[in-house]
Amino acid sequence: MREVGIVGIGHTKFGKSNVPFIDMTCQAALEAMDDAGAKTGRKNVIDQVFIGTMAAGMVQRISGLASAVVDTLNLRPAMAETIENGPASGASAVKLGFMAIASGVCDCVLVVGAEGMRAVTGWEGTDFVATMLHPEAEYKYGCTLPSFAGLFTRLCMDKYGVTSKDLSIVSVKNHANACLNPVAHIRNVVKLDRITDERIINATNPLVADPLRQFDMCPVSDGAAAVLLVAKDKQEELGFGGKKFIRIAGVGSATDTHVVANREVPTDLLAVRLSAQMAYKMSGFTPKDIDVAELHDAFQILEIAESEETGLFPRGTGHLAAREGKTEIKGEMPINTSGGLKAKGHPLGATGVSQIVELVKQLRGEAGERQVEGAKTALAINFGGFGNNVVATILTTK
Amino acid sequence: MEEMKMYAYKCKKCGKLHHPRYIVCQNPDCDGREFEEVPLEGKCKLLTWTRVYNLPEGYMVPWLNFGIVEFPNGVRATGQIGFDDGIETGMELVATVGQVRDKVIKYKETVTEPQYGFIFQKA
Ligand SMILES: [Zn+2]
Repeated sequence: MREVGIVGIGHTKFGKSNVPFIDMTCQAALEAMDDAGAKTGRKNVIDQVFIGTMAAGMVQRISGLASAVVDTLNLRPAMAETIENGPASGASAVKLGFMAIASGVCDCVLVVGAEGMRAVTGWEGTDFVATMLHPEAEYKYGCTLPSFAGLFTRLCMDKYGVTSKDLSIVSVKNHANACLNPVAHIRNVVKLDRITDERIINATNPLVADPLRQFDMCPVSDGAAAVLLVAKDKQEELGFGGKKFIRIAGVGSATDTHVVANREVPTDLLAVRLSAQMAYKMSGFTPKDIDVAELHDAFQILEIAESEETGLFPRGTGHLAAREGKTEIKGEMPINTSGGLKAKGHPLGATGVSQIVELVKQLRGEAGERQVEGAKTALAINFGGFGNNVVATILTTK
Repeated sequence: MEEMKMYAYKCKKCGKLHHPRYIVCQNPDCDGREFEEVPLEGKCKLLTWTRVYNLPEGYMVPWLNFGIVEFPNGVRATGQIGFDDGIETGMELVATVGQVRDKVIKYKETVTEPQYGFIFQKA
């Protein structure tokens, strides 16, 4: 397999977008192209564009997004496809870009993730996301993704002793990290007392899906992120020689039962474990080699569970690691230095690409105040459905 | 009424019980594609539950309770819980069938049809 790496990154400010959806998507793409020095028109060297989005068709009423973006950016006649894999659309697009280059079909691929969720009301957005659930066994009951996160959180509380305060600790940490990230959706310091004090908790941190509270889940965001991938053996020739090559060392993805109730062990996130194992195997790295990780914390319980399934912490101890501060930027295993989905925001299809952008910044040493000293190898987990389709990516400077 | 019953689907080849309906048997060592309907009702055990306050359009209630249960035959199902007080993991429930949603189909004329499913009640 050819070596594939990232030479350009772009990221819009997450939150509420004030520009048309295609403009927002192009803004992230152009930033990544400019970062790498990629040209448009006759000088274009991008063979293929992949765009991860979940809702462009349903929410923005724009289908065929990749075709539109290629034209808008004057990259014709580059190949273009729009990739939909729920909230894991972004990492799927990166994975397909990696495969396109590794296989030798392409030399240079632009990957963008984009979502505009705030064009619709909260309940419309929640309902739209819930269409990923099983239509007969789940969706028709009025179940949503937060519903399943509530059901899952209670199981983890019963089995491992995770507490509501543990979820708040993860939340407070991610909000603190987001304060150091200029592109994060929410940049407010959140104090642990304020969201856990029994006397005020129902006002400051109300229940959303018991036992889940408002600060135990991510906001609804607009945003786009982009990466430019190139084959190592073409980096010089295509004009990206001046850029530090962040190698994609391993990719993995796996699926699990569509119906959450039918998982053999309901507290397991099997697709997280299997996708991570696949990425570790391809890369030759082990959990001990990971210096920094972006884990899909659409709900704070997921950061804890994923930190165990990926082998960063032993089973049933992820919440203890968070309590001890091990997952903070200066801790032994920093997780979600970007602020995570919790505070950086979660524009569905953009999230998987956004995670990669953050890790590239960390591995380049460009993460500013949230820099993990000496970070060389990094892991991302992008979680689709309620864990029935997960993509893992390992990046390295080695 | 036919639609008011819920079923498990028994593979005619290996006997594995399924819920919901699948096209191919979920037993990794079986390739059965024919199933026999077995009524899925009565007593079951609550494995986990949640009370959800942000509901999709169409529910004119402040919250809904959802649960995952396991029947004595090992089949698990997700459904609504039809009462508010005293919900506890591990408790015994009885599975009833009722209307759980109005399905709205927007095509030329808007069509609304009731959807039926599990509503778990106190045993
Ligand atoms: Zn069978």
